[in-house]
Amino acid sequence: MIRLVLTLLFAGCFTLATVLEPRMDKLRPQTDEDTGFMATLMGESRRLFANQFFVEADVYFHSGYYPTIFDKPEDEANLDVNSKEEAETHPPAPASGRRHEADEGGGFLGPPRDWIERFGRHFFPTEHTHLAGDKVREILPWLRLSADMDPHRIQTYLTASYWLRGTLGQPDEAEKFLREGLHANPDSFEIYLELGYVYLFNKKNPHLARSEFDLALQVWEKQDAAGLKPPPKARVEILDGMVRADEDQNDLKQLLVDLEALKAVSPNQEAIEKTILETRAKLATPAPGRPE
Amino acid sequence: MNNVFALAGVVIKELYRRKDFYVLFVMTALITLVLGSMRFFDNAGIVRFLKEICLLLIWISTLVIAITTAARQIPAERESRTIFPLLAKPVSRWELIAGKFTGCWLACVVALLVFYFFFGLIIGSHEHAWPGMIFFQGFWLHAVFLAMVVALVLLGSVVFTAQSSNITICFIAVVGILFVGGHLNRVAGGMRGVGGDIVYAVYYAIPHLEWNFNVHDLVVQDWGKIDWMDLADATLYGALYTGLLLGLTWTVFRRKTLTL
Repeated sequence: MIRLVLTLLFAGCFTLATVLEPRMDKLRPQTDEDTGFMATLMGESRRLFANQFFVEADVYFHSGYYPTIFDKPEDEANLDVNSKEEAETHPPAPASGRRHEADEGGGFLGPPRDWIERFGRHFFPTEHTHLAGDKVREILPWLRLSADMDPHRIQTYLTASYWLRGTLGQPDEAEKFLREGLHANPDSFEIYLELGYVYLFNKKNPHLARSEFDLALQVWEKQDAAGLKPPPKARVEILDGMVRADEDQNDLKQLLVDLEALKAVSPNQEAIEKTILETRAKLATPAPGRPE
Repeated sequence: MNNVFALAGVVIKELYRRKDFYVLFVMTALITLVLGSMRFFDNAGIVRFLKEICLLLIWISTLVIAITTAARQIPAERESRTIFPLLAKPVSRWELIAGKFTGCWLACVVALLVFYFFFGLIIGSHEHAWPGMIFFQGFWLHAVFLAMVVALVLLGSVVFTAQSSNITICFIAVVGILFVGGHLNRVAGGMRGVGGDIVYAVYYAIPHLEWNFNVHDLVVQDWGKIDWMDLADATLYGALYTGLLLGLTWTVFRRKTLTL
């Protein structure tokens, strides 16, 4: 008898679940986002972990020399692991895989307050260094996890791409990761711009790079028209990328158009004016071997 | 001394008869192996992430083993009333404490050896090189840390009536020291009046377990070895604290009535 009751109860529970599940599903907020395992499990709280994992990448970049919550916190926008100016070059990596960095103001540790603190400093990293050469790859797992936790965190894609295509020489992986980022953030001009850099500087394909810069500019202008106030510096960077792609393609007419556009927004107008004049001169000169 | 080692032998046998160690080891090994098989951005040489996770799991596992093993020693003897024939052997109360401590610590060190051997194998196979001297130093300071924890838990087991409350309080105390202990001087510096003085006094009084824990960063991030004199000083500091805690345990235990 008891078995029959238990079986009936189980059947009742199962039937009720099949009836209620679709109704509960309608109650959940409907979004376009992918609802992966982590998203379902952790909800919005995973974004907190995404930031933490990104900071962890910076911790690894410093080989563990990093302020705690009791020290002066780092400004997240200025973390050393973030991508730098394109023109920046480094000397060859030392054998240790670490490059020593100067500490402004004596670093975050400051002088020890007592003998316990002084002695304790023998047991954790106290030198400001940055990973160099192949060792930079050690930051990658944290960037991957950060992107998994929050696919809308654009800086994660940009930073990973910067190191992958630059120091680590893996432009294919950078492109793949940026495409993934673009899938989650189709309105990100930053990712289009970075993709353009991958094609321009690493894959030496100025034609494709120009297309990506074009898309970046379209997105930027769309956001500007919508009053979203995208950073003006980004427009300068996009136009600068376009100019470089034009130069590589030797498309002088397009270069002239892009240079004019860049001149209008760039703080370095004199140098651009000079390049415009040079380009006009080149255009006026007939190509060798061509009949007059 | 024979009595102490006889008691220690029983505790070590207890560890390998129980399933705690095996469960924790298998969990650590499984998680590490799964993480070790992952590839990030088609990059084969990434190893620090694996080291960090594996070492963290080892620290958690050994802390659990040390606290749970030490916490049940004296209460279990009292509950099963085996403490009476034990003390009538004759084994003095001091020998009982020393034997229990030695057994728990050696059992933890044996477990630690197995964990570190596994850790060394995994890291060696990924880095294609044997771990350096910092690896041994990290192991040794970990063992010193466990000695202090075992002594602290034994003290808790004669002070607190319930085993569960001892385990909980010791976990909170150890984790608290690991994460906040080293920063209490700064907290005290930001406070005014008697409160600041009390926090400063606590800062000087607590065993600074975080020194031993922080070494895991040096192991993970491939820093060079610690100065041997500093290692010796940290060992001496750990030994002094362990002795102090065991002395306190004996002081409380020798006056304690053993009937429940």
